[in-house]
Amino acid sequence: MEATPQTPIVQAEHLSKWYGQVSGLNDVTVSIPPGITGLLGPNGAGKSTFMKLMTGQLKPSQGTIRVMGTTLWDTPSAYARVGFCPEQDAFYERMTGREWVAALVTLNGFSDAEADAAARRALEIVDLTEAGEKKIGAYSKGMRQRVKLAQALVHDPDILILDEPLTGMDPLQRRKTIRLVKDWAKRGRHVIVSSHILHEIEAMTSNILLITNGRILAEGNVHQIRDLIDTHPHTVHVKAAEPRALAARLLDDPAVTRMAFEDGALVVETRQPDAFYQRITSLAASGDAGAIAEVTSPDDNLQAVFSYLVRQ
Amino acid sequence: MTTTPPRPAALSTTAAARRVFEVSFGEMLWSRRTIFMALVVGGPVLLAIIFRVVEAFGAPALRVNGARVAGGSVFGVMIWLLYVRFIVPVLGLFYGTSLMADEVEDKTITYLFSRPIPRGAVLLGKYLAYLACTGLVVLPSVMLTYFLTVPFAQVPGTFRSLVLDLAILAAGLAVYGAVFAFVGARLKRPLVGGLIFAFGWEPVVLALPGYLRQFTVARHLQALVPHAMPSDSALSLIQGLFRDVPSVPTALAWLTVLLVAFLWLAMRTVSRREYVLEQ
Repeated sequence: MEATPQTPIVQAEHLSKWYGQVSGLNDVTVSIPPGITGLLGPNGAGKSTFMKLMTGQLKPSQGTIRVMGTTLWDTPSAYARVGFCPEQDAFYERMTGREWVAALVTLNGFSDAEADAAARRALEIVDLTEAGEKKIGAYSKGMRQRVKLAQALVHDPDILILDEPLTGMDPLQRRKTIRLVKDWAKRGRHVIVSSHILHEIEAMTSNILLITNGRILAEGNVHQIRDLIDTHPHTVHVKAAEPRALAARLLDDPAVTRMAFEDGALVVETRQPDAFYQRITSLAASGDAGAIAEVTSPDDNLQAVFSYLVRQ
Repeated sequence: MTTTPPRPAALSTTAAARRVFEVSFGEMLWSRRTIFMALVVGGPVLLAIIFRVVEAFGAPALRVNGARVAGGSVFGVMIWLLYVRFIVPVLGLFYGTSLMADEVEDKTITYLFSRPIPRGAVLLGKYLAYLACTGLVVLPSVMLTYFLTVPFAQVPGTFRSLVLDLAILAAGLAVYGAVFAFVGARLKRPLVGGLIFAFGWEPVVLALPGYLRQFTVARHLQALVPHAMPSDSALSLIQGLFRDVPSVPTALAWLTVLLVAFLWLAMRTVSRREYVLEQ
């Protein structure tokens, strides 16, 4: 089944998943349209469970889920059209990035030469051309995320399903990855991406699914949730080579309401996350405040907003 | 962004298994489990070295009823007692039960299960990698043990027996591997189940009369062993009371049935089972 502007790429009907007594997903009925869709929710909301059901890693306890009209669980051949970047930080550590990506794409039926060429292309797309010759065990968190992304897109799938792909990336790599996702969709492909950070999702798409406690809370427009999140203080951990130098640069920034130091990181509280992320990206690019290795945001921010929404 | 060539056709089960083998072989060979395997197969080699050194000094390393035991017999005992009865089941157990468990514990199974290949091919490919890995370590150990224990002058006369021993051990690794691959795919605590099978079910059932002995691997393997079986333990004496070793064709047929049946069951289990990764 080809996705047209009218045809949903993913259709779930009364989809539930239980892990013993624990409910991972609860009676979800939703249609995901073509293009980019963001799956937004705090940790434990059911995002990963939903993605694992989509990609056939898990079997529904109840209900159905179809991707491009097919249930992946019992139709392995359909994986040729799907690229999945899972959340877990797991690899064959002794392989180089290129070997690993090439080895995986041979399972798509690529010959050795084709697999090697495709792996090189994929690594180039995620900016790992040189690092591709190093063992994955020696990669930084951001590089590991990118090589994981490379294995998802190496076979040029129609749908990319990305579970928290920006976690652990530095600001520049985040920006590049966001651009990659948007470019992918511009080519008529589809992306379903999860995150617990609204502005990350918002940078990629305005079409979101809000998920909490295993249920879809809302779907569609991002603007209302955005207004809500801006009223809540937003905490950001910035892992930097020189946290004090970075703090000095941010001292007069109106977007910053509070700062603290914590294990080689600067913890910033802001009520204007967009402005703050823009500032941190330009500081990372200029290198004026030393190297910035990682920017993470705990899901407490979103959890607060979700608690508020659930109460409504 | 450049475009990739048109999508290739999905692989058949055997082609996919070959690719999984290629992905898994290096990972398996250089894993910590191989160190364990090297230690296990190093035991007989060490014993053979001691035997050789003692013999080199002119002293008989082993005597039974005052008679010196020849190197060929010592090698035969080692094949039977150490390799067939212990090393092969142990390696089959530790590798076979971990074929899927390692990928699940390391959370790398997702990468294999999100490719357009039958899930059973993942198990088959990993099983082939297990056979290659264990074969690469066990068979050279047997060769070393052979050349250390058997005097050079006796090599031409006993070499055929060595080749047979190697074939038997390969068959043992294949069948035990298939049985334990199924145990690993089916049970939540496969090591416990495997230990019960290898060191509970097999010795007990072998010591009892009746048809149940057909459902052991050891019985059919022992029918292939060309060396005289030792009878110096209580268990062997009990076995001797009920011994009715099947013919070689019967043993081979049973081993083939066990291999195919358990491998098929393991592949079927992997195809149907849901692997939930710990968060």
